[in-house]
Amino acid sequence: MAEVRRNARQNHIALAKQVLDAVLEHGLRAGDHLPEQRFSKVCGVSRTPMRAAFKLLESKEILEWREEEGFFLTVAEPDALAEAARGLEDMDGSLAARILSDRADRRIGDVQSVSGLVRRYNASRHMVLNALKILSRDGVLTQLPGRAWAFQPMFDSPKAIDDSFAMRLTLEPQAITAPGFALDPKRAGLMRGQMDELLRSREGAITAAGFLRVDTDFHGLIAECCRNRFLRGTLLTHHRLRQATQKDTAIPDFRLRQALEEHLDILDSLERGQFDLAADQMTLHLRRSRNRRSEAATRGFAPMMRGPRR
Amino acid sequence: MTAPTIALFPEASFGAALNCVGIAQQLQRMGARPVFICHPGFTGVFAEYGFREYHLPDPPSEQSEDAEDYWQGFINTHLPHFDLDPLAQLPAYVAPTWEAIVDTAETAEPGLRALLDRIRPDAILLDNVIMFPAIANAGCPWVRIVSCAETEIPDPAVPPYLSGLAPEETAACATFDRAYRAATASAHMRYNQFRARNGLTTLPDGEFLEPSPSLNLLLAPSAVRYDRDVPLREDSFVFLEGCVREETRFDPPPFAVGEGPLIYMSFGSLGAIDTALTRRMLNVFAGMDARFLVNAGGFLEAYDAVPDNVSLASWFPQPSVVAQSALFIHHGGNNSFCEALYYGVPSLVMPYCWDGHDNAQRAEATGTGRRLDRANWDEDDLRYAILGLLNDHPMHARLSGISRQMQDTPGTHVAARAVLSLL
Repeated sequence: MAEVRRNARQNHIALAKQVLDAVLEHGLRAGDHLPEQRFSKVCGVSRTPMRAAFKLLESKEILEWREEEGFFLTVAEPDALAEAARGLEDMDGSLAARILSDRADRRIGDVQSVSGLVRRYNASRHMVLNALKILSRDGVLTQLPGRAWAFQPMFDSPKAIDDSFAMRLTLEPQAITAPGFALDPKRAGLMRGQMDELLRSREGAITAAGFLRVDTDFHGLIAECCRNRFLRGTLLTHHRLRQATQKDTAIPDFRLRQALEEHLDILDSLERGQFDLAADQMTLHLRRSRNRRSEAATRGFAPMMRGPRR
Repeated sequence: MTAPTIALFPEASFGAALNCVGIAQQLQRMGARPVFICHPGFTGVFAEYGFREYHLPDPPSEQSEDAEDYWQGFINTHLPHFDLDPLAQLPAYVAPTWEAIVDTAETAEPGLRALLDRIRPDAILLDNVIMFPAIANAGCPWVRIVSCAETEIPDPAVPPYLSGLAPEETAACATFDRAYRAATASAHMRYNQFRARNGLTTLPDGEFLEPSPSLNLLLAPSAVRYDRDVPLREDSFVFLEGCVREETRFDPPPFAVGEGPLIYMSFGSLGAIDTALTRRMLNVFAGMDARFLVNAGGFLEAYDAVPDNVSLASWFPQPSVVAQSALFIHHGGNNSFCEALYYGVPSLVMPYCWDGHDNAQRAEATGTGRRLDRANWDEDDLRYAILGLLNDHPMHARLSGISRQMQDTPGTHVAARAVLSLL
């Protein structure tokens, strides 16, 4: 029961952060009304969790409730909103989240002992073990024989991200063409709504974090609709790891929008039952997204590239 | 009327490439059709900004040896040279680099000619340090973009290119000039022969790229410009007050601990190969009350035990980051220096090669930043340099004025208007 409460609270915090991103992306101003229905659509959730997230923001004095009118924005300056987002992150800052974040930022190594973590975080042994259990359940961490714990490979370097794309290029199109693939129309509709909203935002307003969230949700949806249990399991675990540890990468606005359009094209093909076309579109989408920026470049010398040229 | 096609051809460095993106974004807004000619290593960089790319062919297989070995060789050979002073770098780094640049020009020529035949541009924008005969022979106006320091265009009152000297150091300037010509003589002779074979006139000693007869765009904000003995012709030379591209919004990541000013450090993709220097600097940052964003380029995996007040990444949307920073520690690349000025942010310049030396000197001379020798510093030097710049209120006031002036006349707009007026 405590676990359910913890998850619900974290969902509300995540949703509240999503609302703050949307406020920034849409350039809303102090005094603007935040309609529950519209934000439910933007965030792809029903109205009940949306109201809980609004109430959380009200408690932080970001929103105010007006009887029979709804929730209104009280602050809209980007600095104040960023501060509010940080405040929410602090609320979200369970020990598990801090450990994960420190590993993703290369502050701690990939093999850890309980006693080392107790010292670093000045936490009790019980709290550390609990955090490790949470991370282990999420597939991020494995207990080694003995007392050490090892992190799974993470999205903590350009090479890791490139390896991830290489794997996804093999598996994601296959997930679509595997027998029995069935798109969940309700979730697809919600995804569409979120992506349409982002595409309607003004140039330069889509945040890297906002895009990464929608992107992992979209690819997670494709994985969940696959009927091959092993493909589905592998991809879902991988997308969870992406969501937990991939840093927001700075992608130019043009490419963010192009990628969202590609997601919508894939959904179009899936809804028409054109699975082979959707799989080809997925290949194209992943190839375009596979950022292969040179590692080093200087005049006169050939740029240093990651991996083989394609 | 069909939109004019403008072919932009930046050299294979991120400074030139992203400078051109800023101009191309504005050209597109003004109704032109910018396209990019790019080196194979830059595939996708321009497409991500929405521009069509035309790729030069891959170099022959014997030149495209295993990338890891090639760059490991480069690092082993040249990393120690980055600690030398500009004069000592001439034979060690500058001369072999010019040889490599001439090789690049010769290798690229047939492919470039074929691409220009396909594109049939209405104008070509060349952001490079060397001329490609295919561009001069393309039959359309070409524009020279000088996105290196202003020293690239010589003048008796301007210190020699790459010297890091002040104009008043006349004796040292003369010595450097002689040494530069001697160091580049072999590459220069080979380049002139290549030009002659392709129907171009030869160039004077030390020069590898002539001014365009039509238009030359210099990325040199007025705050750091030199007084010239021979003023540049106003009908073909246009100065740009910064050339800042539009980037995605950047939200600083949460730091594990720490408050304090946000400091951004980037030595460019090439500078990032010196991971030992960066690690030394991280040790100093760890003890400071500030938050540091550090561009580790392609070398993130070289770091562990990153301090709690430091966040590393392999790429930052630099203009968005600089705009939020209280200090920018960089290598003196002209784009970085100009972005710091554009947003009114002090520069701590630690140059390692090329025009970084010139910009480091200029930052000190104009009171817009400080120079710190990359090889000879101890923890206190770095700490005090950072704190000194953060607390230099007269410098902040000066930079605010410079920033306002630059933002009032964005270089991207000036450049795009000048280019379109040629057509």
